[in-house]
Amino acid sequence: MTANLRLSIGEEHDIIAARRSAREMARELGFGVVDQSRIATAVSELTRNVIRYATNSDGEISVNTISDADGHVGLEVVVSDLGPGMADVELALRDGFTSGVGMGMGLPGARRLMDEMTIDTELGKGTTVTARKWRR
Amino acid sequence: MTEVTRQQQAETIHAQSSSIAQQLQTISELEIPVIQVWDGILALPIVGTLDTARTQQMNESLLQAIVDTGAEIVIVDITGAPFIDTAIAKHLLETISAAKLLGAEVLLVGITARLALTMIHLGLDLSYVTTRTTMAKGLQLAFERLGLEVVRTKAPAARPAVADGAEA
Amino acid sequence: MARVPIICLGNVLIVTILEDLRDSDAMQLQEDVLTMVERKGARGVLIDISVIECIDSFLGRLLNDIALGSRLLGAEVVLAGIRPAVAITLVELGVELKMLHTAPDADKGWLLLRRRMIGPGTNGLAHDR
Repeated sequence: MTANLRLSIGEEHDIIAARRSAREMARELGFGVVDQSRIATAVSELTRNVIRYATNSDGEISVNTISDADGHVGLEVVVSDLGPGMADVELALRDGFTSGVGMGMGLPGARRLMDEMTIDTELGKGTTVTARKWRR
Repeated sequence: MTEVTRQQQAETIHAQSSSIAQQLQTISELEIPVIQVWDGILALPIVGTLDTARTQQMNESLLQAIVDTGAEIVIVDITGAPFIDTAIAKHLLETISAAKLLGAEVLLVGITARLALTMIHLGLDLSYVTTRTTMAKGLQLAFERLGLEVVRTKAPAARPAVADGAEA
Repeated sequence: MARVPIICLGNVLIVTILEDLRDSDAMQLQEDVLTMVERKGARGVLIDISVIECIDSFLGRLLNDIALGSRLLGAEVVLAGIRPAVAITLVELGVELKMLHTAPDADKGWLLLRRRMIGPGTNGLAHDR
């Protein structure tokens, strides 16, 4: 079973590859079909953001299995890029927000589908989004 | 003696309210059943509070039931839901939207005047949701939508005689 | 680059999406569908996605845009075969498919489309009902 996965995100076909691999990992981990769909879609949203906004270089996605002290098992998705970064994370997470060209639904949508999400960003440096989903 | 009685009463009331609280807890943890009340008509009686986990479970079983039974109408009954706040309302609307995607029309029943006012105050857009006040009215509408009619044929059938101890 | 085949049956277009679409493929599909609606004078479009396991916000909005464009050109769009998991995800994602009708499978989708097409010319964007 794949314990973790790492892919570079540079072209649009990487979006499909990323979500297929994430879905497969979720399936192997025992997530139900609906959660697999949620995870795959969240990955799709996050990787698309990288393709759209971090155009200067390839981004990266890694998907890892995680567990906590109580024995819960889950999946952690980390999407990072060296793009422009975000000035106002709160604003970007607000539903329907579009930053010019349109980060649109990417972040708020992904957050709704996953259980936890944290965003590390710095203007001019890049962004790292970490999202987790726990198996029920 | 009055003191003892009062104390006993207080204890009884306390015990009863704990028991009620516990029962409410149990109810809210129960799965929301999806009932096929007729060919093509599903009913979803919502009892207890709706949180995210329960709504997700409700969504999943409802949608699967719609696909399995080919249902065209879903009657969601909120008579048993204690209160509706924005979060619960959102959850409900999600369920309704998801059902629509699978081709099932959703009727929301059990709306009270107080609930209607709450929803108005919350500024919810329910323009695309059909509502009725009772399950009976919802069912009637469902039959109409499906082109069905309930007709009384002569006298109701006589009940068979029941022997002692035997099942009817 | 994958081209999604579009079949014309009378005044109805049938589109079956059999694999994950790249963003550019999806946009090409939009162009192709609208071009054919206009060229054939189609009154209805049936898009079957029963094989699709994931519809994200991009594809969701694109499908909605295809429906919007088709309506402007006088055709109704029915999306058939949304899987329950996909339906739930779409709803939770917050994608609204306001411009199109949906059906659980192609059979029902076809019937729905025929019914929708019978009405007065759908030139406007008004929702029925």
